[in-house]
Amino acid sequence: MAVSRRSAIKTLGAAAGSPVFRLQAADFEAILPSIAEVVLPSEADRTAAVAAFTRWIRNYKEGADTDHGYGNTRVRTTGPSPARNYPAHVAALDRAARDRGAGSFAAAALADRRAILEAAIAGSNVERLSARPTGAHIATDLMGHYFNSSPAADLCYRAGIGRDVCRGLPGSEKAPAPLPPKAGSYRR
Amino acid sequence: MIHESDICIIGGGITAAMLADKLSELAPRSSITVVEAGVRIFDFENRTSYRQRSLDYGENAWPGDFIDDQAGAGIISRTMAVGGSALHWGGVTNRFSEEDLTLKSRYGLAVDWPIAWADLERHYCEAERRLGVSGEPGPLPEDRRSEPYPMAPMPLSYNLIVLKAWAEKSGIPFQGTPQAKNTRPYGGRMQCMRCNTCEICPTGARYSPDFTFKQLLAAGKIALHDQTLVRRLVASGDRRRIESAQAVSLARGGPGRSSPGEGGEPIEYRAKTFVLASGYAWSPHLLLLSGVANSSGLVGKYMTGHAFIGGQIELDAKLYPGMNEQHSLISRKFFRCASDGPFVRHDLRVWESSAGRDPRLKDSSGRLLLGDGLLQDWRARTERGAARVRAYYDVHPSADSTLTLDPSRKNRWGDPLPVIRHALDEPTIARKAATREHIVGVFNQLAKANNGRLFNVSEGGYLDHPSGGCRMGTDPAASVCDSYGRTHDHENLFVAGSPTLPTGGCTNATLTFAALALRSATRIANA
Repeated sequence: MAVSRRSAIKTLGAAAGSPVFRLQAADFEAILPSIAEVVLPSEADRTAAVAAFTRWIRNYKEGADTDHGYGNTRVRTTGPSPARNYPAHVAALDRAARDRGAGSFAAAALADRRAILEAAIAGSNVERLSARPTGAHIATDLMGHYFNSSPAADLCYRAGIGRDVCRGLPGSEKAPAPLPPKAGSYRR
Repeated sequence: MIHESDICIIGGGITAAMLADKLSELAPRSSITVVEAGVRIFDFENRTSYRQRSLDYGENAWPGDFIDDQAGAGIISRTMAVGGSALHWGGVTNRFSEEDLTLKSRYGLAVDWPIAWADLERHYCEAERRLGVSGEPGPLPEDRRSEPYPMAPMPLSYNLIVLKAWAEKSGIPFQGTPQAKNTRPYGGRMQCMRCNTCEICPTGARYSPDFTFKQLLAAGKIALHDQTLVRRLVASGDRRRIESAQAVSLARGGPGRSSPGEGGEPIEYRAKTFVLASGYAWSPHLLLLSGVANSSGLVGKYMTGHAFIGGQIELDAKLYPGMNEQHSLISRKFFRCASDGPFVRHDLRVWESSAGRDPRLKDSSGRLLLGDGLLQDWRARTERGAARVRAYYDVHPSADSTLTLDPSRKNRWGDPLPVIRHALDEPTIARKAATREHIVGVFNQLAKANNGRLFNVSEGGYLDHPSGGCRMGTDPAASVCDSYGRTHDHENLFVAGSPTLPTGGCTNATLTFAALALRSATRIANA
């Protein structure tokens, strides 16, 4: 019997909830703060950014129908979780750290972590920050997830725009209020 | 299985909703059945989570709103559900102008519509009331209205206030676009919360037809058979009437199933009056499949819409993208052009934009940016603001602009699926370069203020807000139906809304589809 791409991806999606996959998730989540310290701005709430990224990964559904948009005759589904690639990325980062004399990537000095990540990103051939993780590299996925977020836009403009938040109509005629320190949280 | 009613509406989108709503008032003793191939997505309580999944993962915000093997080729939306494409729409409710109805008599182009402007204008007002439109009177006397908008306008965001002041330095007047969004509680729905995701409005402030259908069902005014695909209309022996609609149940079983049949079961609909309200693609498709209403040979011909050119303008202004990206400014100045000069008609829209201002991984020299360096680069590029500009412009179809049946692509029942190939008439093609020059000139006129710079100018590769395929007219040899949508061939078969348009205008067309449907209802009720 022929298996369509849609049904194959849906089958993969069922496997994403398996114990094996959850074990892999636990492996890569631990390294995220040490990556965030290098790739996310010091002004950002990195803890919140990592938590949001982790939540995104945990709640990802493989094989879900995507928005087919206006006038678009193709219906697509989400692909395999980007996180399937992360254990390999983490292993490579740890190897590079050990080559520099550290026990692991997380234990390496900040300058070493930066050098390791610069080399890893260069090797991943990622050219732009995708709004949603792609699995190309765990570091650029974390960056793309954060920098394309509503809180990051608030931080950039130093204003409480709240792009993805339901804000009500009153006050919309005024410029957004200046951003208090460490604001731009992941409100919903 | 046989199902009988007085009026059988085939299709469950915004046109069907308007028809059902008005017919239930005009003919309260008539039984009305709405038959829709797709599912009903009435779980409003889940809309907030659908929105969030759509934002976070790009998942379909209207789960299950399509049928796997019911897809056309060309510019055809996949959406097939109760509510139709108006589940996803942005709620923009611009009117056409009087010129759209008089192209032949004013300019010698295309055809005139068989409707007087004052007649259509009355039905625009009615459509605005039923949909719930918020808007402000336009600055041009030609755009005068016979009634005020039902609701106060959507307030301009700070960004749009800044952009309006900038854009009007060009001498071109702008206003906020009218929208089917509540600026106060209206129609049993709440006020807009400015969620910035109008394609999936979590509050219900943006009109979508599911609300109308739910209200009609709750009042017992209609029957709604979703998951039921009409495959053929069957004419009487003398072909003067349509006797039945032959359908098949697509019901998948389980709770919420509302097709009268089991999956695959044939259903015959009998009615005194049949109304085809399945949009510009599936209405002519069903007529062609059925071999009815086509003595003119024009079913599936003169498929139309409007072309468009867009661009971005960088300017000296502090803007904050994301305040209300769906709302825009419009100028209707170019809806009119002199009858003795070059013909060019278009709308003109301005939105806030973040084009060229997104965070980037590498700077222009290719250097990798991380952390604070990336943020610094991003901030530096947001010092100046940006506006997105776009013009929908008036183009006219040729008879070769077609929807046809594609024998190489069939659904599970063996019915060939539609393919749309738009084609423009010779005068439209001849003036294309001049039209582009004019519109880019207008964009540059805007860009003169605030040290503006126009960039990323591009032309749309398709006709937007498609319509046509069953055009209306007075001559049965040159049209499929009359101005009320009654087919020339069958006294009890009407086509409603978008397929009946002879030409596609130069601005968003949904309000026009709704207004025409409401006008048709007056005749259908007495058919």
